[in-house]
Amino acid sequence: MPGVTIEGLQKWYGGSQVIRDLHLTIPDGAFVALVGPSGCGKSTTLRMIAGLEMPSGGRIYIGSEDVTARPPAKRGVAMVFQSYALYPHMTVRDNLEFGLRVAGAKLADRVRRVTAAAEMLHLSDLMERRPSQLSGGQRQRVAIGRALVREPSVFLFDEPLSNLDAQLRAAMRIEIKRLHQTLRTTVIFVTHDQTEAMTMADTIVVMRDGNLEQIGSPLEVFERPANRFVAGFIGAPSMRMFDGRVEQDRMVLADGTALQLPGHVAHLAEGTEVTMGLRPEDLVVEGHGTLPVRPCFFEAPVLLTEPLGNETLIVMPFAESEAVARMYRPRPVAPGEVLRFAVDLDRIHVFDQKSGESLRRASAPGQT
Amino acid sequence: MSVAGSSRRFALAGAATLAVLWLVPFYYAVSTICKSTAQYLSGTPLSLPPSLSSLPGNIEAAWAQTQMGQGMLNSLGYGVLGAGGAVLAAASAAYALARIVFPARTTWFMVIFAGTVFPFQIYLIPLFQGYARFGLLNTRLGLLMAYMAICVPFPTLVLRNHMGQIPRDLDEAARMDGCSHFRIFRSIILPNSTGPLIALFLLQFTWIWNDLIFSMVLTTETAQRSVMNALMVFQGNYAGTTPNLVITASVLASLPTVAVFLLLRRYFMQGLSLSVHA
Repeated sequence: MPGVTIEGLQKWYGGSQVIRDLHLTIPDGAFVALVGPSGCGKSTTLRMIAGLEMPSGGRIYIGSEDVTARPPAKRGVAMVFQSYALYPHMTVRDNLEFGLRVAGAKLADRVRRVTAAAEMLHLSDLMERRPSQLSGGQRQRVAIGRALVREPSVFLFDEPLSNLDAQLRAAMRIEIKRLHQTLRTTVIFVTHDQTEAMTMADTIVVMRDGNLEQIGSPLEVFERPANRFVAGFIGAPSMRMFDGRVEQDRMVLADGTALQLPGHVAHLAEGTEVTMGLRPEDLVVEGHGTLPVRPCFFEAPVLLTEPLGNETLIVMPFAESEAVARMYRPRPVAPGEVLRFAVDLDRIHVFDQKSGESLRRASAPGQT
Repeated sequence: MSVAGSSRRFALAGAATLAVLWLVPFYYAVSTICKSTAQYLSGTPLSLPPSLSSLPGNIEAAWAQTQMGQGMLNSLGYGVLGAGGAVLAAASAAYALARIVFPARTTWFMVIFAGTVFPFQIYLIPLFQGYARFGLLNTRLGLLMAYMAICVPFPTLVLRNHMGQIPRDLDEAARMDGCSHFRIFRSIILPNSTGPLIALFLLQFTWIWNDLIFSMVLTTETAQRSVMNALMVFQGNYAGTTPNLVITASVLASLPTVAVFLLLRRYFMQGLSLSVHA
């Protein structure tokens, strides 16, 4: 099963460049998620890999073969669309079989492949139905089945779960992941939902404005974001940012709050203008969750609570802005109540205030 | 309540008046075809026929005098081939205009659409002269070509709008499946356009069937003339025909279009909604 290599990929629409010199290597059998906000170029990149869009520059290789100019059906890829794009006038069986018919596959081969896909995706009882007679989840499975019967080298998914309700989405996440574990085929999955990316992919590619911002494992992009954008995009609720400056071995925030610099940015020079990033996970309520090894305690009134059942998110004022803390094993909390919080000093993130790049020492260990 | 009730009564009265107005000529036609010439001349035009016994004789006479069999056969050919060919050509053009990006796409559409802007009568003289020069006068092919050309622009407009609404993802999925443009058109777009295609076929078939002027100008012989042109034997100073035969022939000439509509009305109604259900 070949991987995908992208070299210097560019895409222009008129005078506007939507993909800027993208380089990416996706190994055989990897499950890669392209994530980023709307308009970041992730779907365009996927469509160029599929052959539905022609790149304005650069090359695309599948395995060792340059497929840049090849038509979609000759690339060995199959795509699952956001809208499923099932042929409305055909039955499920015809939808699954259509691509094989066009390719001129023999009847026995068609039957074998369609039957196998239908069994794998639990579609056997739905074969004579039309797409309009199927639920969202069933349509989704047919769309995956249609890709599956082609036995592609690379599966491309273009936000395939975005039209499903939350419960079905979670179920389909598991199904797609299981499918990947069974087939070990390279998967490129586009999503704007970072939770989807984190839970399904083994590699995450974060994009913004046609640029690749960071590539790494889910844990890597979460724990060691390359810049302020990635830090804010990955994680829910998102990381809160606070401007400050380095004074001796401390970071002084806008309201004068001083925090000891974590080890991974201890090299920063006096006066460096920085932005501190603090995830809700790294701000705990005393008595509700394990206290960090190097805590920094402070008290603050509760502004807002978001009870989630297993935990409650607590919004409180912090450094002339607001921070969010997670309260594990929660108890009822009323707005205005003063609680004692602990910041995990080892896990705060520090970015350059101007460039937004992470100031973590390259050799610094991960925050685990 | 009383305001709503009176407005409802007003609407009902209006609808009933319109229905009667519509039914009077219909009643006139049905009652007249059941009268002999003597019965027609002896009573008022709207009087009831004494019996249905004159009907078979009227049908026989109208059919024979107009040579309607030949006219119907010709019109059937013009209608089926002309409307079918035009709708198919329009569908191909509409697919290209709606789904393929090519230079001057809008200009091409305007060129085709311009065919519906001018009244058809302005084409008659140049068409006659051109046909005379190329030996197409009094030929079935000539009349068929004229019908087909006239019937292309309107279906192109309708189908372009319809095809523009079919999700583009379907084309892309088909491209992923290895389809060429022709295969996408044939296997994906056309099957999802059956409602509008049939509705447009019906409209164009009816127009061709009911056309008189092109048939009169471009054909003069019985062998090529259309059914409506065949009715013209009842016209003129020396025709000497009474209304019962004229109406019988007219009703006979209208029956095939009514039959086609009744057979395909389900598709016709679907086509009018011009929607795609994915």
